[in-house]
Amino acid sequence: MLEVSIIGAGPAGLTAAYELSKLGLKSTVIEADHQVGGLSRTVNYRGYRFDIGGHRFFSKVPLINELWQEILGEDFLVRPRLSRIHYDGHFFDYPLKAFNALAGLGPVEAFLVGLSYTKAKLFPSEEETTFEQWVSNRFGHRLYRIFFKTYTEKVWGIPCTEISADWAAQRIKNLSLSEAIRNALFGSGRTKNGQIITTLIDNFYYPRLGPGMMWERCKELLAARGHETIHETRVEKIRHRHGRVECIYGKTFSGELVEFGGDHFLSTMPLRELIQALDPAPPEEVLQAAKNLRYRDYLTVVLIVRRETVFPDNWIYIHTPGVKMGRIQNYKNWSPEMVPDPTRTSLGLEYFLWDKDEEWNWSNDRLIELGIRECAQIGLIDPTEIEDGTVVRMKKAYPVYDQKYYENLAILRQYLETFSNLQTIGRNGLHRYNNQDHSMLTGIYAARNIVGEKYDVWSVNTEMEYHEESRVEKTETSKKKVFSKVGDTTLGDRQVPTRIVPATTASHISPDEIIEAVFAKLDPLALGTAVGIVSGLSLFLATIILLLKGGFVVGPNLSLLRHYFLGFRVTWSGAFIGLVEAGIGGFILGYLIAWLRNWGMRAYAFLLKKRAEAEAQRRLLDDV
Amino acid sequence: MTKHDESEEVSRAIVKIQAGVLAFVCAMIGGIGLFVMTAWLLIKGGPKVGQHLQLLGQYFPGYSVTWKGSLIGFFYGAIVGGIIGWIIGKIYNGIVGIRQH
Repeated sequence: MLEVSIIGAGPAGLTAAYELSKLGLKSTVIEADHQVGGLSRTVNYRGYRFDIGGHRFFSKVPLINELWQEILGEDFLVRPRLSRIHYDGHFFDYPLKAFNALAGLGPVEAFLVGLSYTKAKLFPSEEETTFEQWVSNRFGHRLYRIFFKTYTEKVWGIPCTEISADWAAQRIKNLSLSEAIRNALFGSGRTKNGQIITTLIDNFYYPRLGPGMMWERCKELLAARGHETIHETRVEKIRHRHGRVECIYGKTFSGELVEFGGDHFLSTMPLRELIQALDPAPPEEVLQAAKNLRYRDYLTVVLIVRRETVFPDNWIYIHTPGVKMGRIQNYKNWSPEMVPDPTRTSLGLEYFLWDKDEEWNWSNDRLIELGIRECAQIGLIDPTEIEDGTVVRMKKAYPVYDQKYYENLAILRQYLETFSNLQTIGRNGLHRYNNQDHSMLTGIYAARNIVGEKYDVWSVNTEMEYHEESRVEKTETSKKKVFSKVGDTTLGDRQVPTRIVPATTASHISPDEIIEAVFAKLDPLALGTAVGIVSGLSLFLATIILLLKGGFVVGPNLSLLRHYFLGFRVTWSGAFIGLVEAGIGGFILGYLIAWLRNWGMRAYAFLLKKRAEAEAQRRLLDDV
Repeated sequence: MTKHDESEEVSRAIVKIQAGVLAFVCAMIGGIGLFVMTAWLLIKGGPKVGQHLQLLGQYFPGYSVTWKGSLIGFFYGAIVGGIIGWIIGKIYNGIVGIRQH
């Protein structure tokens, strides 16, 4: 039986192990921390649980949704979402709402914001290469400064003038017309196949005891199947020869060096560390590329407040200048069971830093003091209400997309592809700003690749929508990409049991089939011809009926049509003239009806897309 | 991607008309339409009620601008409307079929 060693027990590593267990392969997961979950772990401090950031469980990948349900079952809660922006002593709705934003800013600022917006619309910046230009062109420079600049710069530590506009535009650009219509007509909570998932707008899934619960449970399931997870062992050396990894060496907390063998190896280590751990060392160019990768670090100051309710939000974006924290999480609002005492609230103040920043090395007490001071400064709490606090530091939480990252990544990827039994997965394994679901998907792909599938894990990213995931079939003669849907039973996914849907509500028609039918086009030529034939024949028949009936004056009223049909008379020759002219008139009428109807439907579709784009723009902070 | 390409992405299908349904819809419009037009003139009243509309009697035997005629008109309007709708549907589908092949 093939054996696989997996470095890292985060979502990608554990999902890979889980998938391997389904495929009947043995795996061992090696984790540096004493807990599983990686960035998605839940830290427990005196019974108070908190995330490393907030982890909404939301995916448009049906396979991942099924997997979450399979692992957690009834412990997977649907939770309401509320998040707002704090700026200058006011709370603003998020996503941004025009009236709420203007009312909160006050009349003078609202007027200036209006002027700035008008200016942006009338005289937009022709050059749109930076994040600042992109947002300013859409919201006006003043709103950009208030609602986007401060937070974005806090998170990424880079001036918005140095962040590429592509990064902001990506999400909007990727809204396809069909997707916009699907979301508008069926809600954003449906996949292409019509499967219902919770909507991003109002609700999200969340494990009862935090995201770590998902991964603790996953570890238990793996253990029950005989797959080991080894803790507190940091991989320090990866020995390889002739394009194959032979074994990896991990150092335990007690300093003992442990060797792990295997036929295949999966790594979720940050690429920089992975490359540096390779023995023998890679070429200098590869080492340099790895060294050039940058990471943003993250630090949470957790405060335990002696108050039942502090604010109703799951989290608040802090845009107020003059405070360092970027976001405040209220873990109790993610799940009530995140706190052991309902009369207390635990807040997570999030700081985004470089490890060279002085705050990164501050003592916990000093950081807690900073957190208390800043919370009091923005009016959220009274410092005397703070009962306790702690600090959690997370290095390399965010891979940074600087101007050289893609170039560096290409070098590393090219080098890593020379190994026949090593794959890198997960956010840091791919140096990609993936969400949890996409990291999991890379784990599934890598596991399947081991049994002979040909998935490209590097193609999984946050831009994939409705997830017809790319699956690369590398044939002998060509490297042609063949696309197939993940979630197809043909790919061997284990399907979870589902309830029988009552016949009255069951629909075998997918949203896409409905959209295809509703937005189907009328053929103008065919409708024009049909209406033309019927019109011409109708006038012809109406004329000859009168002619056949005869009389003193035949058809004096019908002959008034000559005002419209030149040469028409209620005569035999007039009947044929009427046939031709009414036929032409009918054709034009039918053609126009079909054309107008098609144009109307297309206009409606683009209107839906515009609305979706505006909505996505209002939710831009979700992607920051 | 141009707007045209994008709309193609939403649906490449061409509508097929259900001739029976179109016939029914046109029959209802024709029948109810003639009935209402007749009834409207009758309600308005006047010295010469519906002198132009009653010319339809040339085509519809028994039709006149009276209450009884309005019911007969409903019948004729429905028949003619139904036939027109059905023929349009059939011709349209036939042409679409030819063009698609």
